[in-house]
Amino acid sequence: MSPRIRIALLALSGLILLPCAASVIAGLPAFGATIAQYGERINAITPEARHVANMVSAINFDLRGLDTLGEEFMLLAAITGTVVLLRGRRGEGNTERAMRRPGRAVIPRSEATVLACRIAGPLTCLFGLYVVLHATVTPGGGFQGGVILASGTLLIYLGEGYSGWRDAIHSHWLDALEGGGALLFALCGLAPMLVGAAFMQNILPLGTFRDLFSGGLMLVENVGVALAVTGGFTQLFLEFMEETREAEEPDEPGEESA
Amino acid sequence: MSAVTSVLPYAVAAWLFGVGLYGIATSRNFIHLVGCLGVCQAATYVLLLGLGYRWGSIAPIFYDHPPGTPAVDPVMQALVLTDIVVGATLTALLLVLTVQAYKRGGSLDPEKLRPMRAGGKSGRDQGSSRVSEGGQQAP
Amino acid sequence: MSVILPLLFLFTALSGTAVVLVRDPTRQVFAIAINGLVLTILFDALQAPDVALSELAVGSAAVPLLFLVALMAVRTQAPGEDS
Repeated sequence: MSPRIRIALLALSGLILLPCAASVIAGLPAFGATIAQYGERINAITPEARHVANMVSAINFDLRGLDTLGEEFMLLAAITGTVVLLRGRRGEGNTERAMRRPGRAVIPRSEATVLACRIAGPLTCLFGLYVVLHATVTPGGGFQGGVILASGTLLIYLGEGYSGWRDAIHSHWLDALEGGGALLFALCGLAPMLVGAAFMQNILPLGTFRDLFSGGLMLVENVGVALAVTGGFTQLFLEFMEETREAEEPDEPGEESA
Repeated sequence: MSAVTSVLPYAVAAWLFGVGLYGIATSRNFIHLVGCLGVCQAATYVLLLGLGYRWGSIAPIFYDHPPGTPAVDPVMQALVLTDIVVGATLTALLLVLTVQAYKRGGSLDPEKLRPMRAGGKSGRDQGSSRVSEGGQQAP
Repeated sequence: MSVILPLLFLFTALSGTAVVLVRDPTRQVFAIAINGLVLTILFDALQAPDVALSELAVGSAAVPLLFLVALMAVRTQAPGEDS
């Protein structure tokens, strides 16, 4: 299909869809006027019923926990696909040599960068842990905290260079984190069935409202999600970075990691 | 609130989706195309959160405010939250496919993409012999 | 608040359009990061701090990084050179 035909087709479908979209928008409730009854009910009932303050976490891990289990496995499948595609061609080993465009200068890392990364790295990871653990109390949870933790490991790369990063982060641990997190979440669903409850029924003690230990089973599921997201995203960064390495044996000296 | 304000979020969502589609249709570079797909994703976030908002409500976190205070719709936020994280991994998957297509076919242009065939007889004059060698070496 | 939100929506539309119109992928990465930041601010204004935190970490850090690395992998390798 030539580009011109494609654009013509797009314009045609746009012309047809525009009135439809306009009528749909006209039929939607005015912005900011009202919210759906389901959300309203959840806001009214859940703080009492589950002793959690963060409604979003309550929905993700308890009320609609089964959906999150599906999301969790989508995450697992996407990351597995990415890693398989990258490793299938390259193998599992890691390479020392940075790939470089010819004629581009190598700028050594300044001491200020190293210092800033050494200070900011632990702080970022601490903040990530805080976000993970306070899922049921304040904004945050396994998804956000996991991404923050994974980004924190990137500061090792920025500060210590590629080999330092590879020494600190092991690919096999990340595999275990990723799969183990998903397994933990699935077990959280299955374990209540052992005592005769329903799938993913919240049978643990619910704790006190506005306390770190509130929400019962949600806390365990949250940790499972955090493990899977941390492992998965760090694995993504690692495998993507490995893609910019040179596969061949080095034939000239003087490579300082990029 | 004026009439413009009451439909603005939905219009913005529709605009973002349309612009993203336009970008996908006219893109000449796979990496640019994945970025345009991200704009389409952003349209869904804006639509869902726009639907869940209510003027004068607090965030659905009853830590500083007692339960019972009018809050915005938490269901939409839960939807968008997981979507963002899972969407990022799918973006990564698409980028990897892009890099693989570049290595196999030698181009990032969707127009020049040829079907992949066993043995590397992809019809590309320039890279076909190399591709076939690589195909035999690969386990 | 009733002025800030429409403004933020317009900004979102603008930055999303910029992501599409910047055709050079190297420059587009920055447009994507800025789009992520604008979305973060919009989500925060929409009373969705959870989503804003997620978008901040993903949209303005993780995804642009993945794009950068993909660009690096594409630009440093000769086409058709399989391993």
